[in-house]
Amino acid sequence: MEEKKIKPDYSVNQLVLIILAILTLGEYFLGVIATINIAGVMLLFGIAKAFFIVKDYMNIGRLFFGEENH
Amino acid sequence: MSTHSDSLAEYRSKSVNNRMGLWLFIFSDSFVFAGLFIARFNLMPDARPELNQLLGLIVTAVLLASSVLMNRAEIAIGAGDQKSFLRNTLLTMVLGTIFLVGVVFVEWPLAAQHISPREGVAGSIFYTMTGFHAFHVLTGVIFLFIVWNNGRKGMYTTERHFAVEACAIYWHFVDVVWVFFYPALYLIGSNIIGG
Repeated sequence: MEEKKIKPDYSVNQLVLIILAILTLGEYFLGVIATINIAGVMLLFGIAKAFFIVKDYMNIGRLFFGEENH
Repeated sequence: MSTHSDSLAEYRSKSVNNRMGLWLFIFSDSFVFAGLFIARFNLMPDARPELNQLLGLIVTAVLLASSVLMNRAEIAIGAGDQKSFLRNTLLTMVLGTIFLVGVVFVEWPLAAQHISPREGVAGSIFYTMTGFHAFHVLTGVIFLFIVWNNGRKGMYTTERHFAVEACAIYWHFVDVVWVFFYPALYLIGSNIIGG
């Protein structure tokens, strides 16, 4: 049986890629120039990045809403 | 036809349970990483080990890029695009291997010039955190190879590819852990130990 092929939608994938790139570069430059303890700010950067990965790449919504969230 | 749809319903039902089990494992595993993260700040509140920050950025970019590609692989198999799925899974594997080489064979020897796992807190923290994480990356690369190899044999379809989803979730989890480990080891702390 021939499997039907649909056009993959990579729009969210690309948007998250841009967000992760901006946050990672921002975090790097802040870390390099900082002379004081910036652990709190860095933690916020980490939480923001983790949020997008867990929501859009790991699709945590599927755990609660099943395949409709696919 | 009804047999096919019945078995598909059964497959979906099993996937719901498998997904729950996978997330429970991820949740429990995250406590170990959280413990290491907390230990790092408890033992070195305002200090960090002497490390190459640019190398840290490069390995981080490689791991983030691998996560992006793994997501593309999962989207591709969901759309029935086997070619794109196989290509993206293979690239994810390659980037994961580059990350491992970057940490274990480049960063570790460089860090060893300043810190040691046998002496002092900084070395113990650095090698434990990166070593434990590297083992997870290695496991992920092996898992990716299995999924890629099964994919080559045509074992996954648009509707039946939970193994790909599981592999992707595990890989992204490893990425999420590094999202917190990277600044904790390379960027936070004004007193540099070993410098």
